[in-house]
Amino acid sequence: MKRPITLATLCLCVFTSVQIPDAFSYTTDSTVPLAGGCPQPNRWNLSLASPLNRRWSTSLPLTSVTVLTVAAQRTPAQLTEIEQSILDSFGAWAGVTGTTFNSSTHPGFIAPIARVSTANSCSNDQENNIDGLNTICFNQSSTAFTTGVLAFTRVITANAPGVSVGVSGPAAFAGQILDADTLFRNDQQAIYATPGALATPQGQGAYDLESLLAHELGHWFGLDHSAVWRALMFPYSPPPGQFLGDRPTALAPDGPLSDDDRAGIRSLYPDPNDSVNIGVISGRILPANPFALANIPAPSTGSFVTGIFGAHVVAVDADTGTVVAATLGGWSCNVASQQLQFDGSYEIQRLPLNHNYKIHAEPLEGLVTPANIGDAMTSLCGPQQPGACTTPAANTNFNVRVRPASP
Amino acid sequence: MITFRKCAVLTLVAISFATSASVPATTLKRMSLPDLSRAAHTIVRARCIANSTRWDAGEIWTFTTFDVEEIWKGSAPAQITVRMLGGKSGNLTSTVSGVPQFSPGEELVLFLERTLAQDFSIVSWVQGTFRIGRNRRTGEEIVTQDTAAFAVFDPSSQRFETTGVRKMPVGAFHSLVIASAHAAQGSRQ
Repeated sequence: MKRPITLATLCLCVFTSVQIPDAFSYTTDSTVPLAGGCPQPNRWNLSLASPLNRRWSTSLPLTSVTVLTVAAQRTPAQLTEIEQSILDSFGAWAGVTGTTFNSSTHPGFIAPIARVSTANSCSNDQENNIDGLNTICFNQSSTAFTTGVLAFTRVITANAPGVSVGVSGPAAFAGQILDADTLFRNDQQAIYATPGALATPQGQGAYDLESLLAHELGHWFGLDHSAVWRALMFPYSPPPGQFLGDRPTALAPDGPLSDDDRAGIRSLYPDPNDSVNIGVISGRILPANPFALANIPAPSTGSFVTGIFGAHVVAVDADTGTVVAATLGGWSCNVASQQLQFDGSYEIQRLPLNHNYKIHAEPLEGLVTPANIGDAMTSLCGPQQPGACTTPAANTNFNVRVRPASP
Repeated sequence: MITFRKCAVLTLVAISFATSASVPATTLKRMSLPDLSRAAHTIVRARCIANSTRWDAGEIWTFTTFDVEEIWKGSAPAQITVRMLGGKSGNLTSTVSGVPQFSPGEELVLFLERTLAQDFSIVSWVQGTFRIGRNRRTGEEIVTQDTAAFAVFDPSSQRFETTGVRKMPVGAFHSLVIASAHAAQGSRQ
């Protein structure tokens, strides 16, 4: 339940159109280079020479149904149906225009999908599972699963250039993703259904495989959770029998995504030739009373928290009311000095031009809380220099008053 | 031109309560407090001491040491180690969404399972993690579940309800957990 505004203790002003150093345009995990410096957003280094390899394990539990399909269980047709869901889930992200791996403008940046047949291909608890082979597995019994954990994605990133794992090849930069695997447990704690099967009576008790897979693939590409309810990267899945967004079509392969998802993937993989989605809104969120931040511990020696950290800053299309993009506000990093500062900064990039936008900020105490994006917050401070930087707690105790931008 | 207006998001939040999701993450199955109590071998109130990261069984794990302050169910030594997938080791970072992270000094109530390695893990990850704080006005100890702030869909009633534990006094939460644990024990006998 949202706290009544009358109980809020801070009154804030949103300042806009202020020139600020780098901040991320979306809620994304990041890596502080081993050598120090500004956090870098986690992302792949994709090219025609080094496309994203991907495979899935056709091993399915023998004694139970994990993936519900229209085709009969344990038939080649079932594998084809599951694989189509996987391809459509990838296609949702590759269908976003204005990215460097868009399937139309940059074909070949994602390799054809391969099949493997062994169980536990993602994690067998016996050998190094971090192998640079990006795999989706439906028949997993990893010790990482505890009761109630149905599926998860593990993403491996390099903290420095030159690092490699398995077949990944050396990283070109800190924050480069080297390996991603998605694991579904195999003991029937949950059942997933392809789109065709979801529409059947049995599918009403199953989770939509494409919604879950496309969300997990968002993590593959480097996105963290979004607090935008309509976003595919919202942390909570649709109820059994339901799916998110629109089903992909040939004309709109990215139908399952929201504008917020599209802005997020564009900000991580911006196409330099994109002339449409290049709008930027930036600013700072500051307390009306600067002494309101006096009790927040210093994040590092000689550094102070000078703005609201952890606000959810949202850009809404003023004409349609559609949420276009959102980000985690509250920090920036000075490119010249490589100094991270918790100064209330935010930046929303990759906004379509020729639209009017409204900006608002809200505390992360609604459906999504700071715990949902803990990695995105804590990864701003690198662990390489213990004690050098500690991410402040997200400030959830404020409401907002807006000071208009100067023309 | 850019125009601004405050807090239109309240509408969005209201819509969200009407239509939001049934599972607390793409990775987790919804579990009630009795479900969590039943699944947990041990329930403790504990204080985080330190985190460390190392490789084991081909994965990067974060091991967090806790001082056990109270045992609410089962048994535990005075100090326990909880292992969670993910963390930073050398030149690599392993990130897994839905895994709770802990800071030294913070107090929590944890619903624990024994692992094959004879240390502990947390039932349903963030769902079995309850952080202790203080009411800003009264100073009373309160507890909030990491996955508390969302509406969940109850298939039996076809209604969305907010069921997570949020800002509940620790004493009341303790009573609920003890009752749930006893009920779970009774249902097994």
